[in-house]
Amino acid sequence: MNNIHPYEKELQQYALGKSDADPKVIAHIESCSDCRAEVSMYQMLFSEIKEQPAPTFDFDLQEFVLSKLPKPQTRISTDDIIAGFLVIFTCSCIGIPLYIFRKFILNTFIDIPPIFIYSIIISTTGILIIKIISLYKKYLKQMHLLNFN
Amino acid sequence: MNHISGNNPADKHLVDRVLRGDTRAFGIIIKNTENLVAQIVFKMIPVAEDRKDLAQDIYMKTFHNLAGFKFQSKLSTWIAQIAYNSCLSWIEKKKLVLPGNLHEDEEIYETTVAKVYNNIAVGSLSENLFSQKELSLILRKEIEGLPAIYQTLITLFHHESMSYEELCQITGLPEGTVKSSLFRARKMLKENLLSKYQKEAL
Repeated sequence: MNNIHPYEKELQQYALGKSDADPKVIAHIESCSDCRAEVSMYQMLFSEIKEQPAPTFDFDLQEFVLSKLPKPQTRISTDDIIAGFLVIFTCSCIGIPLYIFRKFILNTFIDIPPIFIYSIIISTTGILIIKIISLYKKYLKQMHLLNFN
Repeated sequence: MNHISGNNPADKHLVDRVLRGDTRAFGIIIKNTENLVAQIVFKMIPVAEDRKDLAQDIYMKTFHNLAGFKFQSKLSTWIAQIAYNSCLSWIEKKKLVLPGNLHEDEEIYETTVAKVYNNIAVGSLSENLFSQKELSLILRKEIEGLPAIYQTLITLFHHESMSYEELCQITGLPEGTVKSSLFRARKMLKENLLSKYQKEAL
């Protein structure tokens, strides 16, 4: 028999029933009454922890939380009607003049040098990318505040 | 215990229903996970009055962020993670100092301590000379005496049968830290029991 007592960690592993313990350690524990007593102590602890009564809230959590949740929308709200009207109005304001003056608009673009069009496209894309990055950073910051990252 | 059964299609179905506006489905999620949430909240928050608001806060966060849940872990593990982080934020916000734990059933506790430790000392654990209720009470008090993080880890691992991986997800700690904390918690629990017995004997 190996006379050196195993480390506390090995005793715990053995008590947990982990099969990856060193065979020498297992042999020692099985033949050493002190170590067996330690293992029994741990096994008693583990079994008693498992039997501990689970704590419960002294109120109806389900009812309490559900009463605080936003009610699902079943009909169109006034805000939705106003938003819809604004979208239609904005589209009309842009779309009708575009349709009426389409020939003039096309001629305007034909007269513009290509380099000028490219510079507009590049600068617009740049601004858009910067905006998206800052929006994403803001989103990450908010998620971090909520502890979801 | 639903959190052990894994991320099953039922969870996915429930989440889909909640996202479609069915709040009753969220009620089922609460029912399935409230025991696990209670384990974490009771171990981390010593003030009973705070637990109600905190439990509400946990489930409101869950509800508002459910659309962002990608099923990369079990739903229960994700909710437990929210519960754990919410408790930490709550402790930080309220600047809570964990008080010494009061022994509500002081009389039974005192008489049982001597009896239990006697049995441990003479190696007669298997003889069941003390009742299950008494032993359970002793252990509950000793667990309550551990630091909050140890209480939480030891309960989730031994009582809720959660894996190291799940504990890492919930606490955000590396696996090595979780394992060493569990080792220290068990050792502390055992030593506290034995030292009290020695004190009682003197």
